[in-house]
Formats: sequence, structure tokens, C-alpha cells
Amino acid sequence: MGKLWAVVKREYVERVRSKWFVIATVLGPVLMAAMIVVPIWLAVRSSTSAKASNIVILDATERDLGKVVAQSLGNDIQGDSSLARVRRVSPAELAQAESTVTRDVIAKRFEGYLVLDSASARGTTARYAGRNASTIPDMEKIERTVEQAVLVNRLREAGLDAERVQEISRVKLDLKTERITDQGRGGSGAGNVAAAFGASFVLYMLIVLYGQTILRGVIDEKNSRVAEVVVASVKPESLLGGKVLGVGCVALTQLAVWTASMILIVKYRAPILARLGAPNAPVPVPDVGFSAALTLLAFFVLGFVLYAALFAAIGAMVSNEQDAQQAATPVTILIVMSAVFIQPVMLNPTSTMNKVISWIPFSAPILMPVRISIIPVPWYEILLVMLGLIVACLVCVWLAARIYRVGILMYGKRPSLMEVARWIKYAR
Amino acid sequence: MAELALDIQSVVKRFAQHVAVRELSLQVPQGAVYGLLGPNGAGKTTTIRMILNIIMPDQGSIRVLGRSNREPKLLDRVGYLPEERGLYKKMQVRRLLRFLAELKGISAREADKRIGPWLERLTLKTAEKDWGLSKVDELSRGMQQKVQFIACLLHDPDVVILDEPFSGLDPINAQALKDTVIELKRRGKTILFSTHLMESAERMCDSVCIIARGEKVLDGSVEAVKSEHGIRHVAIAVANQSTDGVRSLLDDPRMVKSVDDQNRFFEVELADGANPQELLRRVVALGVPIERFELIQPSLHQIFLDRVGAKGVEAGVTGHG
Repeated sequence: MGKLWAVVKREYVERVRSKWFVIATVLGPVLMAAMIVVPIWLAVRSSTSAKASNIVILDATERDLGKVVAQSLGNDIQGDSSLARVRRVSPAELAQAESTVTRDVIAKRFEGYLVLDSASARGTTARYAGRNASTIPDMEKIERTVEQAVLVNRLREAGLDAERVQEISRVKLDLKTERITDQGRGGSGAGNVAAAFGASFVLYMLIVLYGQTILRGVIDEKNSRVAEVVVASVKPESLLGGKVLGVGCVALTQLAVWTASMILIVKYRAPILARLGAPNAPVPVPDVGFSAALTLLAFFVLGFVLYAALFAAIGAMVSNEQDAQQAATPVTILIVMSAVFIQPVMLNPTSTMNKVISWIPFSAPILMPVRISIIPVPWYEILLVMLGLIVACLVCVWLAARIYRVGILMYGKRPSLMEVARWIKYAR
Repeated sequence: MAELALDIQSVVKRFAQHVAVRELSLQVPQGAVYGLLGPNGAGKTTTIRMILNIIMPDQGSIRVLGRSNREPKLLDRVGYLPEERGLYKKMQVRRLLRFLAELKGISAREADKRIGPWLERLTLKTAEKDWGLSKVDELSRGMQQKVQFIACLLHDPDVVILDEPFSGLDPINAQALKDTVIELKRRGKTILFSTHLMESAERMCDSVCIIARGEKVLDGSVEAVKSEHGIRHVAIAVANQSTDGVRSLLDDPRMVKSVDDQNRFFEVELADGANPQELLRRVVALGVPIERFELIQPSLHQIFLDRVGAKGVEAGVTGHG
């Protein structure tokens, strides 16, 4: 037990002390902060763009729709009513006017031009061409404005006076979402989808990263021949177990630091945003209870042990990194396939196929957390999947220990599957 | 000291294509320096790995210090220097040594106490530089060998097993290793080392076991092995004016088979069953000044070549290895 502890301690301390670990651990929260703060900041930034107003409106509607659009564009806080210019043209002259104004846009006198014709007046289509045609906030703003203007025109034609029209048509709706579970209402649905995606992605990343770490560690011990010194003192099973536990603790440390900083960033986002000169914006906060978090953690630990054992067995089979990458391909495919299914499962967590996929022990560690975060999953289902995962873990660890015991002292060419089968059979 | 440090009984180890060790038995008394000699591929490393329970024999039993080598913690009393030296390259020397000591059941604190003196002793820590604070891969090869050697002895083992300890050592480190082995013996430790360098084995070992193709060729104390294989030559030289008396003495056919007069000395081949000590007594009885009386024994190297060479032919017939 003391020796196993010594191995765990070495694996943990040596890795946590490494530069790579420190950089990754610090960089993680910085990236996460960027993921939360930058979009808000950008959103605030991009909506201040006055470009959407600096356009020419070619009005071929003969109903003065252009004027209404120009007014609304100018009415915005950031807009400037003097910027938008309305040119009334007849439908026949439209092509000519467009080529003229295109030259203006090329000469940077305007950002772009909007064509309003009879179809626009009916509220079906409108055309826009300009330098900012791919800027989504600008386009959304123009689209909304035209819709609004069509509505205003219709109301006016129905006989309402201008002021009443303004009053009635001013609507700016923000849809707030909330999730209902068996326990009742709480949290935002968007937050949970984000949490599901974030959690499964982080789990996937940690399993891949630290699985590879174990693979490299085993090969390194083999190549540097240090394995023989160590197995002369401890059982190979203890070395394998200590390695998986030690590296697992490193991964958990990283996970803990990341989670804590995530919580802090969400909590103190207002001062951070204020520093950047952006107003506070609501961030979808996931509703993850203590028991759900514990379930996530259990899935991570089991998934990690499962894949770590497989990677360790592969490390014991090969003698160099090139062979290792090749030999690890089946395991890599298993984990990557699980990641590929994150999105389908997220979009449709209740379909039978996605359910079954999330039950398979190799993909359960990544896909079950997704389903648990998005929809209520019955406890017995979680329990059964977890049991299956535990059984798979035991089998893989047993196989890995046998392969490891023989392989760790084998050098030279990569063994065939038959040879590995023999190792498993005869390892003592 | 009646208890055996190592007791290997009829051990067999087969690998997929060949038999690495067959029916090998050997006994190493406590406090002995024991040499396991043999050509490459003889099964020395396999035997040593089985003693250390790194691999398991297919048949036979191995007892270390009177107990089965499968008993937990027993191997904490054994130090091992593998043939292929290996250390964690990226680890600091002190932390590495502490780790390897912990694997042998020494507490980290106790290990730290012992590491300093060892580093000083093997000049890895001097007034200018403490290499213990460097990473392993910053050390020269010779220094890494020293670190490996410390790792083998840091837990003060009762039995020390060295697999080809002299391979790749520079003369200074080889000397340091030899000194340490002698010192360990003085402190009552048992040392088993494998080598194919007969000269070092002959100088240092109390007993040897020669194996080839996985089988024991011979074993026993170095004297016994040599006398058993001695062609039993004696060189005798006396002051010049007294040679005649010696000549007449050497005419005794019960004592002497043949005499080779080398002018400066006589090289005498003893008759079967003759005791060289008796010959010495007679020469002394002559009352002449003796300049040289030397038992010329065949070197282990010679014995090794004679026996293993023959064995090799046999093995060739049975068709393995």
C-alpha cells in the first residue's frame, strides 16, 4: 500500500510540477473567460456599429417605405438619421441606380445599399448589397427595420395616425427560457445545453490528453528501462494502478481548477465586463445540482480509468511512439466516436439510437453527462449504465494488467494480436 | 551464517521458442561474493529476474534469506542493479532516489537522510556543485551510473544483486564499484553478480557458478573450481647455487609427473594425488633460499573456455539457443 502510494505520489508530483501542466491549467480559465466575456463584448461592440445606417436606400415602392426605414434606422441610439439617404427611383431606373450606387460603395462613400421594391412593400423580400453584407448584427438590424417599416406603412394605410403607429409598433422582445425537470422549474434551458456541451467536451479532452499522457509514460518507462528497476520493487499491477491513479488525480486537479475558475468568472463577470467597458449581460447559468455534479464526476472517473487502462496496455505492447500511435488507433477511434455523437445526442437526447449509444461503456462517460444535463434521466437508468461501465472497467483493468505485466519487459518488434492473446493467457 | 542467502532449486523457465533456464540449482551462503558467469544468452539475466520475482519460473523454487521470494516485503531486503540501466530522465536526482527508496519500504524522511552521504561518497556532491539537485538527463553517463548504484544500495539491502555491473563503467567507476562490493562483504552482506568478465570475477568472488545455454556447467568456491580444473603446475625458483638439490628432489615420480627446466625456474607438473604443500615442505627442508614457490592455477577464463566451449558443442547437437 505504501509502495502504491509512492508511485501515485511520484506520478502526481512530477506532472503537477511540470511547466506544461501549469500553462494548461492557467490557460484553461483564460480561454473560458474569453469564451464568456468576448462574445458579450463583441455583441456590445458590434451593435454600436453605425455602418448599418450609412447606406443608400433605393426606394422603388412608390409608397415612401424608404423614408420610414431611414427614420427607424436613425432612431436607434447609435444611429445617425443624417446618414441614411433615400433615393426614390422608378422600377425601370432601378438597374441604372444600382450600378451608380455600387460605384459609390466601391469608392467608400457608403457602406452599402438597400433595394426596396413592390415585393418589399408586401413584406416578402428586400435586397441588400454592401461591404457589411456578412455582418450578422447589421443585417439583422436592417431586416428588422424593414419589417417594422412595412408594418408601420400598413397601419398608416389602415388609417392610424403616425404617433399611434409609432407607439403600437415599437416591440422589442427578448425570449427568456427556463427549464422544467421532475424537481420543478429552475435554471435556464440554454444554460444546461451549454453546460452539457462544455462538460462533455472537457471530459473528452481530459480523457484524451491524460490517456495519451499515460501511454507516453509507459513507453518512456519501457524505453528508459526504468520499468525493470521499479518492478523489481513493486508488482507491475501496483505500478500500473499507481500510474492511473496518479495521472487521474492530475486530471482531477485540472478539472477542479477549471471548474472553480469557471464559477468565479460567471459570478464576477460584471466587474470584469465593466473593466472592458461593456455593460453586464445575462449569462445563461446552468442548473447543475450537487448530485448531478457528483454523477458527472463518477462518469469522468470511470471513463478515465477505462481509457487509461487501455492506453497503458497499448504502451506496454509497443516500444516507440510511432508504433504507439498506430496501436492506439482503435482506442482513439472509440473515444473520438463518442465525441462525434455529442451533438446528435444533445439535439435529440430521447431518441432510441442516441439512448443506446449513450449506454455503451466506451461512450457512456462522455454521452451520459450530456443527456443528464439536458433531460431528466431516470436514476435506475443512470445506475445501470454506471454498473455496465464499472464491469467494463474491471475487465479492461484486468486485461491491461496482464498485458502490462508481460509487455513491460518486452522490447523490439510490436507483438501480433495472437502474441498479445498469449500474454494475457500466460501472464502470471 | 548457516542460512543461505539464496537457494535456487531446479528452476526452469521456458519462453515461446526456447528454454532460457533448465533445472538450475545454486546456493549462495550469506556473506559471500558470488559470481554468476556465462556467455551472453546463457540465462543469467533470466535467472536474476526470477530471483527478483520480476518473472516467474515455470518450475522450481527460489528462496531468499530462507523464505520464498514471493513473500511480500522480502524483496525489500534485496538491492538490484539491472543490466540495462534505467532512471526517470526528467526527475531530479534526489527526488528519484527518494522515490526508489520508498519503493523499498524506506520512509521519505529516512531516505533523505541517507541520500546526502551517498552523493558525497560518490562525488556527486562537492563543494562547488550538488548534482543531486539536477535532473537525471543533465548528468553524464558515468554520473548516471553512480546514481543507479546509489539507488541499488540506498535501502541498505542484505542481498545485493548486480547484473553485469562492470559493463560500460569507466575504470574509475569500476574501481569504486569494486571497493563498494568489498566493503559490503565486510559488513556481512551477500553479493551476487553476473558477468562475462572472468578477471573481475576471479579477483572478487568467493564462489562462482558458470552457466551456459541455461544449464549449470559447474559451481563451487573459486579455489575448489580451480583445483578441480588445475593442471597443477608449480613454479619453483631457488638461489642459483642450490639448483642441484632441487633437481634431485624433483626426480621423485610419486610427486612429480614432469619437470620443465626454464633456466631461471622449474615449472613442475605434479603427479596425480600429489600435494603441492608436501612439495613445498620438502623444498624448505633442503634449507636453500627459496625465491619463488607458486601454484600456477588455470585462470577462470581458461576453465570457462574449456568447459563452455565443450558445452556449446553439446548444445549445438540438441539444437537450441
